Amino acid sequence: METVNSMDMGAKIRPQMPAGVEHGLCSRFRTTKSHCTSCAVVCPVPGAVRFAEQGAEFTDACVGCGACASACPNGAIRLEKNDPQLAERIRSRVRPGEAFRVACPRAEGKVDLVLPCLSRLTEALLLEPIRGGAARVELLDPGCSGCGLNTAAPQWERALFLAQALCESAGFTASRVGRVQVSVGEPQEIRKASESPNPRRAMFRAIAQKWKETVTVVATETGQKPAEAFRDAVQRHHGNPKRTDLLQVLSALPGAEARSKSLIASGLPLADVEVGIQCVGCNVCETLCPVGALRHREANGVYALDFSPALCTGCRVCEAACFYQAIHIRETVELSVLFNQPSVTLISAPRQTCRACRESFLGKASEFCPSCLASGDRRESIARRFFLGGNQSDQL
Amino acid sequence: MSERSPIIPREAVDRSFAKQGPKQYTLWVDIEHCIGCNACTMACKAENNTPVGVDYNRVIEIEEGTFRDARKKPEVGVTFVPMPCMHCGRPACQAACPVGAITKRKKDGIVLINKDKCIGCRYCAWACPYGAPQFNPEARIMEKCTLCVHRIEKGQLPACVNTCPAKVRFFGELNELTPLMREKQARTLNITVSGADTNPSVRYTTTR
Repeated sequence: METVNSMDMGAKIRPQMPAGVEHGLCSRFRTTKSHCTSCAVVCPVPGAVRFAEQGAEFTDACVGCGACASACPNGAIRLEKNDPQLAERIRSRVRPGEAFRVACPRAEGKVDLVLPCLSRLTEALLLEPIRGGAARVELLDPGCSGCGLNTAAPQWERALFLAQALCESAGFTASRVGRVQVSVGEPQEIRKASESPNPRRAMFRAIAQKWKETVTVVATETGQKPAEAFRDAVQRHHGNPKRTDLLQVLSALPGAEARSKSLIASGLPLADVEVGIQCVGCNVCETLCPVGALRHREANGVYALDFSPALCTGCRVCEAACFYQAIHIRETVELSVLFNQPSVTLISAPRQTCRACRESFLGKASEFCPSCLASGDRRESIARRFFLGGNQSDQL
Repeated sequence: MSERSPIIPREAVDRSFAKQGPKQYTLWVDIEHCIGCNACTMACKAENNTPVGVDYNRVIEIEEGTFRDARKKPEVGVTFVPMPCMHCGRPACQAACPVGAITKRKKDGIVLINKDKCIGCRYCAWACPYGAPQFNPEARIMEKCTLCVHRIEKGQLPACVNTCPAKVRFFGELNELTPLMREKQARTLNITVSGADTNPSVRYTTTR
């Protein structure tokens, strides 16, 4: 590693953007056919999100409320204070057997945790206190209509709805996660005595942490790699950090028993996928799936497509990309798949080898692959048609 | 630069007929006089260095008429139709591409495949009514006629136009080619496919 002059480094410390995007997970980066606007519709600041070739991007207007990170089904949006840190803080403040109260800075009352906005809460964070032993989770709702961040309000209501449904699916009553109407005022945070460490030590630790981060940032910036081609970047499947957290929380919920519960899938970051007979085994859905929920395997000339419903986020990239529209999102979704994490085989069909191009494909209808059927015949038949029969008839 | 079929200079053409629109470079093939020698196909292969089986330009042979009675004069004929990429106005390949690798350039209307983005899924080949995109099994990506964009940018003609021994291929801007085609008083054929309204830009003329 090359030596870093502290003066140069000081110049390189820039105010960090509140939200960054892991492009490999953004639906809009994976396929240009995606019309995902999950982050943009909840963003309270006009002009903070824009869509470019690399997917969603955040401008300097961003205020860092975190609504987009909670809304993005694929967990592509990173925040400076990430979910594990926040979960750690929640765990340290849970008083077992009592209610855990969360509020935004506008709510009146005594609370365990104050967040910049309630929309920052994901389903995993909402269930975190229950995992820590809290009797229930209460969100203090002062009424979002008078708040400047009110476009983010549907997001926390959605997260709350899903958390309640997950509670029912785990065998609890839905009221373990709920909202409490309060008046507008100033929240008072209850802190445990043990939680205020030596401030001097904390300060030095924070400086050391910042220093370490900056050194790694500078090191990566100086050793610039050539930009990776999209073709290679799209082959890698990142883990969805949001879903990993949720699955961890759900597996560790005390006293949970998975029960079957199905919901209407629209608007939820969950989906059940089915594949029709039109499938030709082109593997585009597997390649483009941001979270790697689809996997193909091939054995003895039989092509099979496996699907992990627990990983699927319902981003609809596969549905938008499929040429023959063979893959579809079902109307309803089963919540218990998040607990037992099954693997479903969507389609299993023998592969054929095309007689013309020697490439393999699925389907028994002909001996030629769709590509050859399309291009080979087409050139000739089109030319023929126009010189003999004119534009009207197909007959030769 | 060779003497035959030069890039037509703007001022030399009577533009009163020209329909104004976005700029579109294209080819015009006079199939009346095409001799079907496949020199364009070979020039294209040499210029673009394509592997066996990948042809950006193909010449289709169409046989017409029947010959039954030996005493009569045979009424048969053969027409050759060179088919490169049509550089459509509304490309079906662009609409089908799941990753947005295909673009129609605004400045000259050439439809190009971005080799860095293409994932080789062949959706463009399935969508194209003219069979223009070709799968290159060596690079595992799709390729197609670029109208020799690397030559055009240097001020040269596309390789197929430069080579054509019968001088039936012409290259130019669509609006400027139109009056020249009218001068020939030939029938203009626009190979549009019913059901796929892609507005192809390559023009063919014949007197028959």
